[in-house]
Amino acid sequence: MRLAAFTQIIVTLAVTAWVFILPTEAVATILVLELTLLLYIKHDQMTLAAIGGLAVFTGLMVLLQLLFGTPLLQSLIGGLRMLVMTMAFLCLLAACRIQDIAKALVEKFHLPCEYAFMLTTALRFVPNFLLDSEITLDAQSCRGYSNRQNFIKRFLAYLVVIRPLVMRAVAKSETLALSMELKGFGNNTYKNMPPEKLNIFDYLVLLLVLAGCSFPFWQKYLTGA
Amino acid sequence: MLEAKKVNYAYTRGRPVIFDMDLKIGDGEFVALLGHNGSGKTTLSRLFMALCHPRSGEILVDGEDAAAAEPADLADKIGYVFQNPDLQILADSVYEEVAYGPRVKKLPEAQVKEQVEGALAAMGLTELRDSYPRLLSFGQKRRLGVAAAMALCPRTLILDEITNGQDALEIEGMMAHLDKLNREQGVTIVLISHDMDVVRRYARRAVVLSSGRLVYDGSPAALFDGTRPLEQWGLRQPAVCSLAASMDVKAATVEELCELLTCDKKEGGEGACA
Amino acid sequence: MTAQIAIEDFYFAYKATPPGQVVLRNINLKVDKGSFTCLIGPSGAGKTTLCRAITGIVPFYMGGRYAGDVKVLGKSTKGQRVSDIAMHVGFIMEDYESQLVSLTAGEEVAFSLLNHGFKPEEVEKRVSWALEAVGLPGRETYRLDELSGGQRQRLLLASTLAVEPELIVLDEPVSAMDPDGAQSLYSLLASIHKRLGTTIVVVEHRMDFLLPYVTDLIALKEGESVAADTFEAACPIVYADKELRPLLPTLWQIKLGLEERLGLKLNDWRSEEEAIEDMKSRGVRKKEGTGHVGS
Repeated sequence: MRLAAFTQIIVTLAVTAWVFILPTEAVATILVLELTLLLYIKHDQMTLAAIGGLAVFTGLMVLLQLLFGTPLLQSLIGGLRMLVMTMAFLCLLAACRIQDIAKALVEKFHLPCEYAFMLTTALRFVPNFLLDSEITLDAQSCRGYSNRQNFIKRFLAYLVVIRPLVMRAVAKSETLALSMELKGFGNNTYKNMPPEKLNIFDYLVLLLVLAGCSFPFWQKYLTGA
Repeated sequence: MLEAKKVNYAYTRGRPVIFDMDLKIGDGEFVALLGHNGSGKTTLSRLFMALCHPRSGEILVDGEDAAAAEPADLADKIGYVFQNPDLQILADSVYEEVAYGPRVKKLPEAQVKEQVEGALAAMGLTELRDSYPRLLSFGQKRRLGVAAAMALCPRTLILDEITNGQDALEIEGMMAHLDKLNREQGVTIVLISHDMDVVRRYARRAVVLSSGRLVYDGSPAALFDGTRPLEQWGLRQPAVCSLAASMDVKAATVEELCELLTCDKKEGGEGACA
Repeated sequence: MTAQIAIEDFYFAYKATPPGQVVLRNINLKVDKGSFTCLIGPSGAGKTTLCRAITGIVPFYMGGRYAGDVKVLGKSTKGQRVSDIAMHVGFIMEDYESQLVSLTAGEEVAFSLLNHGFKPEEVEKRVSWALEAVGLPGRETYRLDELSGGQRQRLLLASTLAVEPELIVLDEPVSAMDPDGAQSLYSLLASIHKRLGTTIVVVEHRMDFLLPYVTDLIALKEGESVAADTFEAACPIVYADKELRPLLPTLWQIKLGLEERLGLKLNDWRSEEEAIEDMKSRGVRKKEGTGHVGS
């Protein structure tokens, strides 16, 4: 039984709260669950690269905290929290289609349709943008720009290439906006889509989320602390 | 001079796209590289420009192996013009755009000026030197792409589908400039195109690839004489050639064909000549 | 025949057009119901602007200065929303990639329908029909990156067809395609034109692709209409202008060239076979003592 997009968003948001209110052991358990879930849903190269990237970023964050004098344990806990929060969003994107996320954001969270549609548009055009950047870099190489330079020089040369990409993106966005206008994009876009109904599994998960979020209260009640 | 010797190429995880390719393009030639989509013509041109490297075999540019080269190393030997001119525009003026290549190569400013002015003149863009490139017409942007490639004074130009999206007048203008570069300055032109009218009219040699193999290497006139399996190779017979062949003449343009024909004089009525 | 598009004394300038200059000048033309009209002209002649005027995009979406009137299906475009006009006049622009707004084929075709309040059952039916009509049956769940360039172009046509427009305007729809892809798309368009009676207006540089199908021709030059008539009547007018002549289909350049030189009256050619047969039956032959001119 699938969870509705709304429920998945709630779970993701809940996880970002849980990293601060649950004990560290529980947060670590959540991380293991997230990794298991993510690798179960999608175990392609891109997902592994994303996990790797997040791990590296977390490591850098921990290092930075240490450099600023934060004790080791605290830095590690901070890193763990950040990793669990970002992994939650990665799980959301892997488990749920972006169109369904956008629809839930409009229906249940009353996000303006333009912002929600940005999610779909981003996913739609990122591959085109990457292809364009490849072609632009090739064109730059063919005009004498060498890839053998040091990292800084290559980075600065890459900035020159950003311009044609941005110009092209702006031109494309004008056509896209016109196309959307012609197709009647507006408040009705998500309103007329068949609504997503919550099933028993959704309600169970939502109850679990409620329990997790109210942990400090029932912990206090149970332990008398 | 460009040479491919027993070249084989495949994409990283894909099927092979070039099989045992042997091809030599001499200095000063005007070659049309033809074939259906996926025939390997763009891949072959990218191999010549060291944008990719063969799995086996050799790519020689002016006699030197390009195996260890990158495109920047060959930019003053080969000018490569991509299909989409918008993705190649980096600067705010036509002059600066064309000057990009020589400046990246750190040439003295006097030399940059000389080479840029030469490239602009060759492509008929001198009067537009201060214009904002993105506001040029599509045909002008295409010529700008060629001028930018010419700025490093390469002896060879590889042009990937540069006639796409232009009207007949713009194509005529563009091809006239390229023809002049070839005839007067001896610049080797390698033109990848689907436009058989342009090929018939301007190219002096046609190389046809089909599924990664070379299937024809000869004159465009002979290619379109009606005896080749053009459809199988993903090509079309230009209408001028079809009609010319039916009248047992050879012509590359409408004007040439009309010049070569007459009609039987009859007493008034249909078929009467003036 | 009833006119589906009627443009009267239409002048237009964009906001950025310098004062005193216009992009379209004194346009008076009609496009008949059920016609397959080709719009030609040199770059900058105003073809895209004319397409935008037919669909109400200029001046009502993009702004600009205008005079005169554009009537589509009997109603002026003035005062109508472009999305309402689009329910009757499909518009396919040159950059087809940027017009695909959704992530799957089914969602793309359904987009317009959902926005205009069609019921889900009706949407499903039309999506299925439209995809089948363009040769993409059963591909509702296909992601866009699973479709080739030609298939995406067809998908765009499907999303236009789904609203069942009376008229479809296409602005250089095949400029990025190879000849086979272009031929295939136009063949599909022609079959839709024939089966559904949809009026087609297409801007195309390579008229050779359209020769078997075109019924009417509009030629623009420097913002003005040079010719707007049936294809057979408009071609000689266009041929008379040396600058516009290369824009005609090659076969008609040859036909009109031979008629001019030899004083013949040839048939209206729609294919090479027709041309060869007609030439031979009229006694056209090669001149004595000629082999060939040029290479």
